[in-house]
Amino acid sequence: MLNAKIPAGPLNSKWEDYKGHCKLVNPANKRNLEVIIIGTGLAGASAAASLGELGYKVKAFCFQDSPRRAHSIAAQGGINAAKNYQNDGDSVFRLFYDTVKGGDYRAREANVHRLAEVSGNIIDQCVAQGVPFAREYGGLLSNRSFGGTQVQRTFYAAGQTGQQLLLGAYSALERQVALGNVKMYNRHEMLDIVKIDGKARGIIARNLVTGELERHFGHAVLICSGGYGNVFYLSTNAMGSNVTAAWKATKNGAYFANPCFTQIHPTCIPVSGDHQSKLTLMSESLRNDGRIWVPKKQNDTRKASEIPEEERDYYLERRYPAFGNLVPRDVASRAAKERCDAGYGVGTSKQAVYLDFAAAIERYGNIEVGKRQITNASKEEIIKLGKEVVAEKYGNLFDMYAKITGENPYELPMRIYPAVHYTMGGLWVDYELGTTVPGLYSLGEANFSDHGANRLGASALMQGLADGYFVIPYTVGNYLADEIRTKAIPTDHPAFVEAENKVRDTINKLMSIKGSKSVDFFHKKLGKIMWDKCGMARNEQGLKEAIEEIKALRAEFWRDVRIPGEANEFNPELEKAGRVADFLELGELMCIDALNRRESCGGHFREESQTDEGEAQRDDENFSYVAAWEYKGDGQYELHKEPLEFVECKPTQRSYK
Amino acid sequence: MEHYNMNLTLKVWRQKNKDDQGRFETLQAKNISSEMSFLEMFDVVNEELINEGKEPIAFDHDCREGICGMCSMHINGRAHGPWNGTTTCQLHMRAFKDGDTITVEPWRAGAFPVIKDLTVDRSAFDRIIEAGGYISVNTGNAQDANCLPVDKNKADLAFAAAACIGCGACVAACKNSSAMLFVSAKVSQLALLPQGQPERQTRALNMVAQMDKEGFGSCTNTGACEAECPKEISLTNIARLNREFIAAGFSSEK
Amino acid sequence: MKWSQFFNTSIGKKLLVGATGLFLCSFVIVHLAGNFQLLYNDEGKAFNAYAAFMGHNSLIQFIAWGLKIVILLHAFIALQLTFSNRAARPVKYAVNPGNQTSSWFSRQMAIMGSILLVFIVIHLVNFWGKFHYTEMPTRTYEGSIEPLKDLYALSYETFKNGWLVVLYVIGMIGLSFHLIHGFKSACQTFGLNHKKYNGLLSFIGIWVFGIAIPVGFAIIPVVIYFK
Repeated sequence: MLNAKIPAGPLNSKWEDYKGHCKLVNPANKRNLEVIIIGTGLAGASAAASLGELGYKVKAFCFQDSPRRAHSIAAQGGINAAKNYQNDGDSVFRLFYDTVKGGDYRAREANVHRLAEVSGNIIDQCVAQGVPFAREYGGLLSNRSFGGTQVQRTFYAAGQTGQQLLLGAYSALERQVALGNVKMYNRHEMLDIVKIDGKARGIIARNLVTGELERHFGHAVLICSGGYGNVFYLSTNAMGSNVTAAWKATKNGAYFANPCFTQIHPTCIPVSGDHQSKLTLMSESLRNDGRIWVPKKQNDTRKASEIPEEERDYYLERRYPAFGNLVPRDVASRAAKERCDAGYGVGTSKQAVYLDFAAAIERYGNIEVGKRQITNASKEEIIKLGKEVVAEKYGNLFDMYAKITGENPYELPMRIYPAVHYTMGGLWVDYELGTTVPGLYSLGEANFSDHGANRLGASALMQGLADGYFVIPYTVGNYLADEIRTKAIPTDHPAFVEAENKVRDTINKLMSIKGSKSVDFFHKKLGKIMWDKCGMARNEQGLKEAIEEIKALRAEFWRDVRIPGEANEFNPELEKAGRVADFLELGELMCIDALNRRESCGGHFREESQTDEGEAQRDDENFSYVAAWEYKGDGQYELHKEPLEFVECKPTQRSYK
Repeated sequence: MEHYNMNLTLKVWRQKNKDDQGRFETLQAKNISSEMSFLEMFDVVNEELINEGKEPIAFDHDCREGICGMCSMHINGRAHGPWNGTTTCQLHMRAFKDGDTITVEPWRAGAFPVIKDLTVDRSAFDRIIEAGGYISVNTGNAQDANCLPVDKNKADLAFAAAACIGCGACVAACKNSSAMLFVSAKVSQLALLPQGQPERQTRALNMVAQMDKEGFGSCTNTGACEAECPKEISLTNIARLNREFIAAGFSSEK
Repeated sequence: MKWSQFFNTSIGKKLLVGATGLFLCSFVIVHLAGNFQLLYNDEGKAFNAYAAFMGHNSLIQFIAWGLKIVILLHAFIALQLTFSNRAARPVKYAVNPGNQTSSWFSRQMAIMGSILLVFIVIHLVNFWGKFHYTEMPTRTYEGSIEPLKDLYALSYETFKNGWLVVLYVIGMIGLSFHLIHGFKSACQTFGLNHKKYNGLLSFIGIWVFGIAIPVGFAIIPVVIYFK
């Protein structure tokens, strides 16, 4: 039976109680306790910095050339916090409620409430670090709205919020490196966990420059390696984003929870051809001002500008008048897919809808005219002023769109289509962020905990930083307090030797296949299977087919992949091969999980389970649980259920109408 | 936008590892779509190389949306290629035409040694940040965020400086391999904000000292860094760094 | 940071180059004003008197020696920076951007500076050396008490040599190209970069120091040659 270790007592005092009663480690002992952190995104960097500040000996690893490259950097829109600076009715409870509801009642209440409680502290901490959030003229912080909420609680720094937050965490991390509390290992990839007496005690890492395998001891290991969206090949993730660290944890006994919960983001630049290597997101914040529409006529080949207002179908505003263009991501994505499948798509591929700023430009233009007290402004002047305002808000996104598509989004509506963006699933963790392996923790997107079946916009940054800055320093201390008598274990311990040999064998096996097809060939094929059969809509037959296809593809991979170069040198193809090998296993588990969950919820849409209006139909009676999968050998997984109890936030049919 | 396909000749720097001499290799890139990004063109070339049993070209890249700062190619004499304000990953093949020859080199600087082919080691930047590119505030020490109003203009300037992605194009573009634009962006961001005041002087002094120690050249104000910066960080930041450094050097008692 | 450390940093050295450079900028203004007296039609009375004053006033002599030290310091530190800048890129690019990303002038400071240095040495040998260390013909003007060394005649004699005139013009082209970037660059090094003043600084850098002053200097030998 899974023990989520949720503290007793009322929801809003659980975290206070926990903090008041958890075990502490005195400063002298902290110096002797070593913590390994895998990944330096928001969760990893903030954890490394905070634990370093506390005095632990931290070793942090990232596969990129610098911790500042982690993909948190690409988050655009913002970070939520229940500050209620706008006096619009926000509160910790409301952020908690929106998050649980937005997650379609598949998240753990206690975790989400804690997240909402610390959200305000994150903003304070980041501002103190010098993160240049957007401000009003009075010098105070500015907010904007995001999908799935009716208050303005999103803090932002133009369209580069993730970058600014990550650089804040990165600078805190580098400060600890300078102070000697954190040792940073760049261009290193974790390839296995070392377990001694059932506890996580270290890792095997490959130095990506020299190809050498290294052994590192730690009293605890924190997996902060992000999400696994790249299993789809095409996603908004970075090229290097991978599941390897989390997957090695899974193979060492950590359960993997809700793998089928993937978020398809509604506003991405559509695919333009077979060469495409990744998809680019256009921030959700654009839906604050952009209006989404398709022609009312099927297969309409006219240009957007030639379609008169009355022949446009603003389908989100039509279907969801209460939230309009700001419905949650899963809802917006499915609605776009529905329109395109029904033949209303636009662009050459017909797999796109319009995101139009003409109305916003005119509205802002008129506001500016008023502000500047211009009389008799011409239409052109109004549009010009409006474009300036829009450029200030979203300039970098518009530029990016123009570079990628070669079209000017100030003149023509953007073409957008949903794309894989975030994975709510991940390593199962308890309230303390501990996995089922003692001493092994997981933070940020790599764990499954806070977003249920669908994440609300601007909540990923919040969760990553909450875990790293404000949760793990307490919870890992609670574990390490019992480890003060454990001396650093020398890395010639048999468990280290064995783990290293296992890793070396896998690498040698990969190198010795010398087949005929590149790693990307397999990755693309896997991506297509996943997108077609475990993507925005899933059904029993497709999932069963997908499982068989993935098994066959995996066998072919291990028979026929070609990796040029050597193992003992800088070899990006070998790195990719190891990651794709793990995706080929994870993909199967995602389909198994999707097949098991015969309900629709959040980002997981089973065609068999929908309302008459085509909305997702949850089945709380049978599926109100976290599906945690235990690895039992190649392609074998055992399901463990963590029942979800909702005390404060009773499940209802989610409605944004 | 009109799409077209093109055939290109690539002259690419190949270098097995840091000790290897390195040389240019000429490759053909066939049937490249104008819709591709520059790195996707490299993907196609690499796929071809792998199929021919050769080693693909190693190059750094990650987010492919112009923000992580990992991609780093010197294309036809330009850091990140011919488009202004653009990273290599956001450079699209529309910038080229059929029959073009494209020369691709790694960032060249003593402080950025080549690891392999087009991949270089930029850890010098991390060490410069370690020298002072932060505000010393431990987690949990912060007061309420709105207790500290910040002049919007200064906040905007700080943000514009903070937009630096640390790609190293400024160093690559500078004839002196100077890292002044990178250092000035961080010093400016923190000097402009009230939070950055307590460590303002030591930050400027220490970061400049570390920059020198890493072996970057000095700034001769040619402006090439600003012209090549994918985030269009302004030279005014370098002037601000100079002011910060002078003020600190003349007044700090240490 | 101690002074020794401060002026050993890259910015510290640049400050010295900039400060000495700006000092030399002020010098060329004074020098040009004096030289224009060569073109008066007074048989050199004003010019020779000016030369005698400059040659004997001890404060000015002190500054004049300081000036030579400043020139050497400027050249020495600038060359030192140039060499370390070159060393900062051990492997050069096969393709360079040329003028796409920076102005040609800004990249030629060391070359133009070296031309100038050579020019200054020749110039000093031609006039300053002869003035101070050789027996020069003197001339006594109406109303003056002492005979004055006839630097005016030396100038006219010297610039009858066409090759020297060409050399001087080249030297002044060097000065022009050096200052077109140099003045503005020194301002930037001192942190002077402000929207409201950049236009003025550019104007002074290009039109005053880059063009007017070098042209003024170059006109003198040319006029003398053709007189």
